Amino acid sequence: MNSPLVNTTVAAATSHAVKQYGSGDGAIYALNDISVDFISGQFTAIMGPSGSGKSTLMHCIAGLDQLTSGSTLIDGVDLSTLNDKELTLMRRERIGFIFQAFNLVPTLSAEENIRLPLLLGNKSGDPEWIKKVIDTVGLGNRLAHRPSELSGGQQQRVAVARALATQPRIIFADEPTGNVDSTTGTEILTFMRRAVDELGQTIVMVTHDPVSAAFADRIIFLADGKIVDEMLEPTATKVLDRMKSLGS
Amino acid sequence: MFRIALKGVLARKARLFLTSIAVVLGTAFLSGTYIFSDTLTTTFDQLFADIYKNTDGYVRSSKVIDAGFGQEERQLIPISTIDLVRKIPGVSGAAGNIQAFARIIGKDGKPLGKDGIGPPTFGSSISNYKGELWKISKGVLPTKPDELAMDDVNAKKAKFQVGDSVKVVAAGGSRMFKLVGIARHGDVRSPGGATFALFDINTASEFLVKSGFIDSVLLQSDGTLSDEELAVKITAALPTDLDIETLTGAQITQETQDGVGQRLSFFATLLSVFSFIALGVGCFVIYNVFSITAAQRQRENALFRAIGASKRQITQAMLIEAIAVGIIGSVTGLFAGVLLAQGLSGVLRVTGIDLPPGSLVFAQHTVVTVLIVGMVVTVISAIMPALRAGKVPPLAAMRSTALDTAGSIRRRVMIAAAFAASGFVVLLAVIRGADNVLLGIAILLVFIAVLIAGPAVARPVSLFIGRPAARLRGITGAMARQNAARNPKRTSRTAAPVLIGVALVMAVTVLASTIRAEITDIFSKQFTGDFTINADDRFFGGFNPSLADDINALPGVQRASGFGVSIANVSLSGKSKSKFVTVIDPQTIDGIFDIGLIAISPKALTKEGIFISQKAADKNSLILGSTIAVELSDGSEHDLIVQGIYVRDQLVGGYTVSRQLFEGTVVSRFDAAIFVLKKDGVKDSDIRTSLTGVINKYGTGKLLSKSEYIKKQASQVNQLLGLIYGLLFLSVIIAIVGIIITLLLSVHERQREIGLMRAVGMTKSQVRTTVRWESVITSLLGAVMGILLGLGLGWVVIFSLRDQGIKRFTVPTTGTFVILILSFIIGVIAAAYPAHRATKVDLLAALAMT
Repeated sequence: MNSPLVNTTVAAATSHAVKQYGSGDGAIYALNDISVDFISGQFTAIMGPSGSGKSTLMHCIAGLDQLTSGSTLIDGVDLSTLNDKELTLMRRERIGFIFQAFNLVPTLSAEENIRLPLLLGNKSGDPEWIKKVIDTVGLGNRLAHRPSELSGGQQQRVAVARALATQPRIIFADEPTGNVDSTTGTEILTFMRRAVDELGQTIVMVTHDPVSAAFADRIIFLADGKIVDEMLEPTATKVLDRMKSLGS
Repeated sequence: MFRIALKGVLARKARLFLTSIAVVLGTAFLSGTYIFSDTLTTTFDQLFADIYKNTDGYVRSSKVIDAGFGQEERQLIPISTIDLVRKIPGVSGAAGNIQAFARIIGKDGKPLGKDGIGPPTFGSSISNYKGELWKISKGVLPTKPDELAMDDVNAKKAKFQVGDSVKVVAAGGSRMFKLVGIARHGDVRSPGGATFALFDINTASEFLVKSGFIDSVLLQSDGTLSDEELAVKITAALPTDLDIETLTGAQITQETQDGVGQRLSFFATLLSVFSFIALGVGCFVIYNVFSITAAQRQRENALFRAIGASKRQITQAMLIEAIAVGIIGSVTGLFAGVLLAQGLSGVLRVTGIDLPPGSLVFAQHTVVTVLIVGMVVTVISAIMPALRAGKVPPLAAMRSTALDTAGSIRRRVMIAAAFAASGFVVLLAVIRGADNVLLGIAILLVFIAVLIAGPAVARPVSLFIGRPAARLRGITGAMARQNAARNPKRTSRTAAPVLIGVALVMAVTVLASTIRAEITDIFSKQFTGDFTINADDRFFGGFNPSLADDINALPGVQRASGFGVSIANVSLSGKSKSKFVTVIDPQTIDGIFDIGLIAISPKALTKEGIFISQKAADKNSLILGSTIAVELSDGSEHDLIVQGIYVRDQLVGGYTVSRQLFEGTVVSRFDAAIFVLKKDGVKDSDIRTSLTGVINKYGTGKLLSKSEYIKKQASQVNQLLGLIYGLLFLSVIIAIVGIIITLLLSVHERQREIGLMRAVGMTKSQVRTTVRWESVITSLLGAVMGILLGLGLGWVVIFSLRDQGIKRFTVPTTGTFVILILSFIIGVIAAAYPAHRATKVDLLAALAMT
């Protein structure tokens, strides 16, 4: 992984992405000319202090929010050319999401939650893949249970499995361990790591936790809407050091 | 706390608005009802005050037969009374007055005025007397036996002009007149849309009633005596054997106003019954909205508790909000009622009842009643949710989500079962012979049981009803089904207004279809002729009895028999009672109409006799040969011998007399229908042609075959049914609004979930589908339970009518089906706006919420 930009496909990319709130002198730039590529089969973490624009960046790449200027490509498609319905289908079929909490639909069973994007598209998906995903989640006989009957860690693993179900081009995770204890957090991150290593998935994760970020292949550091640094093959200590230097 | 509560109310204007809507709808109908009936009363009071403005005295017979329901027949007085009155010192002028049935035939050969429910058709007298009610506006007064005048409105409508020939049907038969004048009544062109044919007093007497008789004498004073003194003087001056009474102008005005007022008050009562039903339905909506918002505010309230607010203060804050909602809702409803009253006037105009112009009357009692009722209803509906809100533990502030807790289902089911059981016990008692009044209590108990059990059954029933949705619509349907079932208390409260509305509609439909089946059965059994000619003038007017004779003379007709109704005082067990008596022609009725005479031919009925029903015989211990004293509406008294007893009394009632009884009396007698039996071998089309010929020559009458006639009789129930459906429609609207509000609140509550679904790929149209199906399932839940309850209610009502001869129970399959489809549509309509709102959920904002 020494030269990620060579001989690899790009799952998602932004070019000169700008997100501006307000105008004139009072304008605030949440994203200030960001260009970045996310390589297939890689686990990327986006880090930065609060207000650095890391969540905004993820929302814009994922098609949940619109850029003021610049462009976002997912699987080679420019999101700004899509209407609401096409964007929705894009999210359903080619993007996976893992949110911080309240990630599941309370009225559906765990298995239904996993299959939700497929069910919404009225598709059965690849049965072998689904089986593999469900096996990896390791819920066993609790698949028919409602989210309220599962532990926080189990719920979050179901959420990861749901993101995997459609074999998306890219998965976005927003602080996936933000609401669970550290043991459960590690469990989830290991699970995400396996999804990349064993199932060949692409994950972009927003986090402010150095330990979580250390699970990634690559870390992008954001501050004031700009990319200020990048790190490959990180460890928690390296990340912590870098953050200290950035913070000062 | 008061200020905090008030601030909370104002901060959530949308919620305040939604809750108020339910109050507005309920109170608007009430306010509209009051304004409308006050306006009608005032308008008519003014009308009669104007009409009798120049009348100082009113002379009429003191003998009257009152058959109830505003049906009364006063005896006629001799036409010579006019001259007697004129000669009395103190009287400056007098004129005879007649008002009776007459139907003007239009240029197209069709009678003016509407069949069935509609304004009446009158014939009346007109003269140049100064106190005359009618004023000629075009042409001249009719003075000759072949002349008439007509009311302005209907002359215009039928395009009649002075000089035209006009055919009129009245007691004297059908006759041609020359139109010489157009008249206006007081300041209005025509009172209440009724049609009027006007004649000089002699013609009116001969053609409209009985030659030589009139209804009353209107008179004017020369001013030497007060009206009261003059009235006393006139009564004293007239021969006592005339049985005459004299009223002052003020008295006759008052009496007429009261008479109309009484009819109007019946109408107003009917309207207010339905507005209270609507308010009751509205209660559920208000209760539901308060419960949901209280649940959604659980955290906020818990926070208040945690920082030191008492239970009482939380409850008070909720009640303050309720009062605000009550005030806003009922004030808005009060004014919305004005629009509704205008709408009701419009509806009347469409049905042909033209009201005299006048502005709406906005009385003080309307304001007071509507405001108080609106406030009380709102606060009562809010008490339970407010008490529950106070009970929230301070710890709930730390919990993430607040759900509407469903309480113990077992306890709920047990309470409901207790209510249902006591309801059934009462029901059983009634079936065993207890008083019918208890049925009302039984119904109430079962209704309460159903409402209490609602949350317990809402989940399984919603899941069951939602099954097809899940199958048809895949994941969106499945989610809708789960959403409807996830909060059974809320779902059942939302469905309750639908349930009540559907139950009432269903019960009325069951009753109507049973009555229809009963009518069809009765007519099929009793009417054995081939054709009928219907007058369609209800209890007022009809055919001259000679028409039946004319038809009897037709070749191809084996027999034709006229059938009429008259009012008479019948002496039973020593007491004189006003009764409707059926008038038949004993010579022709045999083989055409079978009233179930026991072992005797109808021909046995003579001028001196009467047939009575088995029931009347049993009740008054009468037997064949007993004598009954009957006083006809002209005051003539007859001792009639019971010559036959019959069992089929559903159509003819308890007492039947021969048309011969009326020969030589002063009673205006009409046939309401003529039944025809054709000769064997005569073609239907041939006899139709000859019958139509006679009818057209006569002017009025509707020819119907046996099956058409029976169908028409049965469909008379539909008019009443239509009216009741119309009045229940408001409850349905409130039910729809209830669903809309609940869905809006649910959508608001589930923003996160919707945001999540949108993020993982749910399209906007799928979001809409989910909301729509949830709505449909809720609506159908109400409908299914309402239908079951309605069937039960219908059965109970029919059971209570068993003494009236209704012994069957017909389940209206089509009606049930229509109700289900309508409920489906209601669900779809109610979901439209909430579904739209659901698609507008801001994805990022929803996901950012914790």
